Amino acid sequence: MSSVTEEIRETARQLLADGKVDVVIGYEKGSLPLKATPCFVRTVQDVDKLIWDETCENNLAAFSYKISGKKAIITKGCDSRALVVLLQENQLVKDDLYIIGVSCQGVVDKRKIENELGEIIEATIADGKISVKGMSGSGEFTFAEVKDATCQTCRYPNPVIEDIHLGGTVEVPEQAVLFADVLEMEAKSDSEREAYFGEQMDKCIRCYSCRNACPLCYCQECFVDCNTPRWLTGGVNRAENLFFQAGRVLHLAGRCVDCGTCSRACPQGVDIRALNRKMSRDVLEMYQHESGISEDVKPALNVYSGDDPEAFLVKE
Amino acid sequence: MSQNKVGAVMIVGAGIAGIQSALDLAESGYLVHLVEESSAIGGTMPMLDKTFPTNDCSMCILSPKLVECGRHLNIRIYTNSQVIKTEGEAGNFKVTIKQQPRFVDIDKCTGCGSCAEVCPVKVDDEFNQGIGKRKAIYKQYSQAFPNAYAIDPQKCLYQTMGKAKGKDICKKCLKACQAGAINHDMEVKEIEIEVGSMILNPGFKVFDAASLEYYGYGKIKSVLTSLEFERLLSASGPFDGHLVRPFDQKEPQKIAWIQCVGSRNAKINKNYCSGVCCMYAIKEAVIAKEHSHIPVDTTIFFMDMRTPGKDFEKYYNNAKNNQGVRFIRSRIYEVTEAEDGSGDSVIRYSNEDGQISTEQFDLVVLSVGLEPGESSKALAETLDLKVNKFGFAELEPLTGVNTSREGIFAAGAFSGPRDIPETVMQASAAAGAASALLSQERGTLVSEKEYPAEKEVAGDVIRTGVFICHCGVNIGSVVNVPEVVEYAKTLPTVVMATEKIYACSQDAQASMKELIEEYKLNRIVVSSCSPRTHEPLFQETLKEAGLNAHLFDMANIRDQCSWVHMNEPEKATEKAKDLTRLAIVRASMQQPVQPVFMEMNHDALVVGGGVAGMTSALSLADQGFVVHLVEKAPELGGIAKRFSTGFRGEDIKAFLAELVGRVSSHPKITLHVGKEIKDVGGFLGNFTTTLNDGEQLRHGVAVIAIGGQEYQPKEYLYGQDSRVMTQIQMDEALVRHDDLVAKAQNFVFIQCVGSRCEENPYCSRTCCTKSVKLALKVKAKNPSANVFVLYRDMRTYSYFEEDYELARRSGILFVRYSENDKPVVSKEGETLVVTVKDHVLDRPIEIEADVICLAAAIKAPEDGKKLSKWFKVPLNNEGFFLEAHMKLRPVDFSTDGVFMAGIAHSPKNMEEVISQAKAAAGRAGVALSKEQVESAGLTAYVNKRKCTACGTCEAVCSAKAVSVDLENRVAVVNDALCKGCGACASSCRCGAINLRGCTNEQIVEMLNFF
Amino acid sequence: MFMEERQVNVSDTDNKTYQPKIAAFLCNWCSYAGADLAGVSRFQYPATIRTIRVPCSGRINPLYLLKAMANGADGVLVSGCHPGDCHYISGNYVARRKFALIKSLLKHVGLEEDRVSFSWVSAAEGVRFSEVVKGVTERVAALGPNNGVFKVKDGGGTDE
Repeated sequence: MSSVTEEIRETARQLLADGKVDVVIGYEKGSLPLKATPCFVRTVQDVDKLIWDETCENNLAAFSYKISGKKAIITKGCDSRALVVLLQENQLVKDDLYIIGVSCQGVVDKRKIENELGEIIEATIADGKISVKGMSGSGEFTFAEVKDATCQTCRYPNPVIEDIHLGGTVEVPEQAVLFADVLEMEAKSDSEREAYFGEQMDKCIRCYSCRNACPLCYCQECFVDCNTPRWLTGGVNRAENLFFQAGRVLHLAGRCVDCGTCSRACPQGVDIRALNRKMSRDVLEMYQHESGISEDVKPALNVYSGDDPEAFLVKE
Repeated sequence: MSQNKVGAVMIVGAGIAGIQSALDLAESGYLVHLVEESSAIGGTMPMLDKTFPTNDCSMCILSPKLVECGRHLNIRIYTNSQVIKTEGEAGNFKVTIKQQPRFVDIDKCTGCGSCAEVCPVKVDDEFNQGIGKRKAIYKQYSQAFPNAYAIDPQKCLYQTMGKAKGKDICKKCLKACQAGAINHDMEVKEIEIEVGSMILNPGFKVFDAASLEYYGYGKIKSVLTSLEFERLLSASGPFDGHLVRPFDQKEPQKIAWIQCVGSRNAKINKNYCSGVCCMYAIKEAVIAKEHSHIPVDTTIFFMDMRTPGKDFEKYYNNAKNNQGVRFIRSRIYEVTEAEDGSGDSVIRYSNEDGQISTEQFDLVVLSVGLEPGESSKALAETLDLKVNKFGFAELEPLTGVNTSREGIFAAGAFSGPRDIPETVMQASAAAGAASALLSQERGTLVSEKEYPAEKEVAGDVIRTGVFICHCGVNIGSVVNVPEVVEYAKTLPTVVMATEKIYACSQDAQASMKELIEEYKLNRIVVSSCSPRTHEPLFQETLKEAGLNAHLFDMANIRDQCSWVHMNEPEKATEKAKDLTRLAIVRASMQQPVQPVFMEMNHDALVVGGGVAGMTSALSLADQGFVVHLVEKAPELGGIAKRFSTGFRGEDIKAFLAELVGRVSSHPKITLHVGKEIKDVGGFLGNFTTTLNDGEQLRHGVAVIAIGGQEYQPKEYLYGQDSRVMTQIQMDEALVRHDDLVAKAQNFVFIQCVGSRCEENPYCSRTCCTKSVKLALKVKAKNPSANVFVLYRDMRTYSYFEEDYELARRSGILFVRYSENDKPVVSKEGETLVVTVKDHVLDRPIEIEADVICLAAAIKAPEDGKKLSKWFKVPLNNEGFFLEAHMKLRPVDFSTDGVFMAGIAHSPKNMEEVISQAKAAAGRAGVALSKEQVESAGLTAYVNKRKCTACGTCEAVCSAKAVSVDLENRVAVVNDALCKGCGACASSCRCGAINLRGCTNEQIVEMLNFF
Repeated sequence: MFMEERQVNVSDTDNKTYQPKIAAFLCNWCSYAGADLAGVSRFQYPATIRTIRVPCSGRINPLYLLKAMANGADGVLVSGCHPGDCHYISGNYVARRKFALIKSLLKHVGLEEDRVSFSWVSAAEGVRFSEVVKGVTERVAALGPNNGVFKVKDGGGTDE
């Protein structure tokens, strides 16, 4: 039992007992190994369900606006950035929110383990080692080996906004090159990229798990579901899937907080993040904007500057 | 002036000037009586093919105005009418109009033309300059208003032979007319009207070329006048725009223009420059090349190329350098018929160096000048107006539009030769002046238009009617119109499709209304020209037919199809189909839109306290509006403070002092002198301007009149030797009797310093006249002075030609130099030496100069960029403000509620500045006289169900029209503020906010039908 | 129905008659006026664009571009007022960021860069408008018909 889990439970207990919040949004142990599940604790009795470890992969901000009343929310760095965007976009009222900040070492990418050992039957985490019994064998991994790709490039493991901070903070390693993954992709030829994304889009089954997991996809009606007008025809194929994914990325332009939830939620292993990361890099490079860092910095597409770059213009 | 003022104005002459004045006045609350001598309004402009410098089709830009004027509720049109008597004084005139019988009832005539078909009498068609024929019952031109035929009593068989003797001769028209419109017994009517003011624009006639025998006109068939040539070029002309010689139908391959026919000719008392001929000749040469499908060689014989108007020089350069028009500086001796029997003409002329040449041409076009018509002279006499020695009305100096009688104003060529923009400017200025005179009576005699109740269309099956326009040959000669019509019929929702020769004509509009009834149409699509010019016209027709104006869309198959794919008829036809289809899709999804009304602030802001700004301010104040005049300099006056004498000898110092006095003491004018503008926000009816002292001015309109600046020459030792000065400096030196000029003996004027060059590729317009005036001043003071004017073309247009001639007679020497061989100023010891190559002697000459006067260019204002940004109005490449339309909206910006005047628009002389300043005030007054600002209602709207209240729309809205209602968690649009840009709609991820008239659904459906 | 027609056109694209069809979104106040001016001045350009007039470049939803591509347009041209000239003050500034990002994204996912073009053309730039269309047409033509990553192959774009 980590001390942070203890602190979370204690804090939740206090908040509920004092009636400061109606609900605490956190994680509990899930039914599947190595995957915590979001939980909503409304009574003091239930606080011991709460946990905090490397399996708490969901972005809980996604639930923050769906649950009414006063709420406390366990918040990692990326969750906090999402909360900032949601606050900026009027989806949350600050007074209703109690942000329990925890610093995050990163979460486990189950898929990496499953690629080696098949479906996970049983797993334990102890002393920084993850022991797994899978359908096609057993193994032991260091956390670093199975850390989610998102977390490997994370620059905001500590919450950017919080009412209380539990546990220590995580030191942010200096990254020699930001968005190295995007740069690598950009360096490929057009046809290579087309082939790569084509392959990814072929995998997509349009289950919308990505959208549903995303803390910032809160439209009442997503453009893919819209009938007036019908942006998409309803076909599930490479082109339409890309329309959906590209459309979604455009809607997240200047807003995406790079939590990686979409990719982790995808049952097909589509590299959704590659699109969002590209967008995030462009926004940073062109407009020096990172979303969800400060409530005072307006979303990139809500503002403009007289000297925004114009490299996109047709060459004459 | 009468105390009993009448809120009505009589306008005499319904050319473009009359139409503009009429519309301005009618729109600002005055009843207009428009008196026209001929059977239709329009004047000369409908006869022209294209107009310079934009090559806009003359008919195309005029026709919306014709229709607007023709159907304006507060404009009463009297055709076939003349003023025969007036009594009274300014504010209250009684006028008697004599109306000749038309013999056709305008209200009954449908313009179908059956009468003309059966009429046996063919006569020369005046509208086509006698090249084609018309019948004795006729309509001047197809778009004419009234759209009704008229009988020519001098030619009609019954009128000439039957009527008097009581014999039933002919009368075929009577039987042919199904509408029962013809009445051979109509009689002359005398109509009396009361008006507070009059505006006279009877126009001009062209010089009778036959009176100068050496041009061969009337004897040689291949010699035409320029107006005849316009008709040859015109799509609606006698040869449908096919360029052929009228007498043998041969396509000319070599055409010459001879300039100054009936202009600049003292021998026949035409010692003035007609001002428009150089430009129209260039235009005709360029268009001739374009119209003909075989290569055409074009040559212009000229003395001086006079292209001093806005963007004219560029037009000239383009013709010369890119279009291959040949320009020959020459004197014409005579035109004779070729002896080879070809019907060609031979021009004998002397070149600049005196050598005599001859050259044969298929066609020779005489660039005939402008002179007052008989009716102009008669009108001046009836009204007892002062005229000049050429018979043009003489205007009061520095008034722009005032005739010698109070309350009577003039516009257009009545007071001298003038091009269309100047004419339109004067027309608006005259309207403004009349409005100022009668401001207390505004709104007393006008009535409001009532439309039939709007048909409810919600829930109805969509029934689209499609009209495809030939636009004469403009579309039809490239796009296969019948094919597009057939195609349109196959498209969803279309219940009828038809073609029109001119969809914008009155009869086409009437037929559209009938078809709307007949087919129960509830959506209309017109495939014709640009919606930017013609959408309002068609929308008006929809309203008159009881349809909401927005159940409509246009496909632009002319400007963006036939005109740009002239050599690809098949592809153009395919494109026309596609564009028509897209318009049908969009129209089928249009919903009725209701206008939105907003409050109107009735105050005006005038930026700039020079002559232009002060004149505008005074005119607006006299019209009854509160004016804020902002001038950044510590005192009023502008550049005019440095002038001594006007171009007609006016005392500028005295004029300026009086103007400043009137502006300073006017109770409605608030001066903000020494103040600069810091920021501007808002729009028509609701501007807020912040001054540098923090004061905020609220106003409904703005006039930008910030002047220009004098070019500071880098050439000719300017700034290095005090004897080299600009014109303004020389004027000042003359006024203060500076020894530098008083004791000088040799004067050299150098023209085009910083003008007509790469850096400033325009003509500064005023400098030729200014130099001539200064040279004459020098010569008057010191007759023995040696005065040289080194020039490229002497551009002493209009009456300034007389000064030019006087200067030559006074012994002032004019030496031409060419652009690539400019004069050189050098210093030999203390002596200034000017070296210039004389083209007549063909060798360099050296002049020792005591004073060198440089005609420094007029440059665009320094603050243009700032104001352009603040008021959201464009500048042209040279930094002058760009008007909404070069020809017909010379003082308006495309942004509502902002107007321009003076040098900030382009270089011009003070008289012209005043005219334009009054025009801007006139136009601004039209806007201010409206009770409320009406917006079309094409605003954003919110689907509450979809809205998540994220606030993106609020963030991107520059008009601050959208805000989020946090309580109800929904975005709210303020219709009054929304300008309809749609930035919110394209930024809304949820698809909750949309734009009326341009919805996501429409665009996506258009793409589905792409 | 219309898509079927287009498909037929696509099949004979190998011969020289192939001319792309380009959806041109033009703002009403500048670029549409510039296109009108090109017409008035008779500046000839290829008959490849199909104009969709919008009030402002700010009106152009990036999804329109995806939709145009999905429906088989061979190219898209978007043109608005020059920065600073916007009739609505800042519509084109707001649009500019969207345009820059979508352009970059589309290239990233493998759409040929020249399929989607953006430009600023003022009401006074008739020549430039015709030049822009010429240039865009050439580049799109060089790419051949749209079989790109967004093209819905079964032509399912219509709602018919």
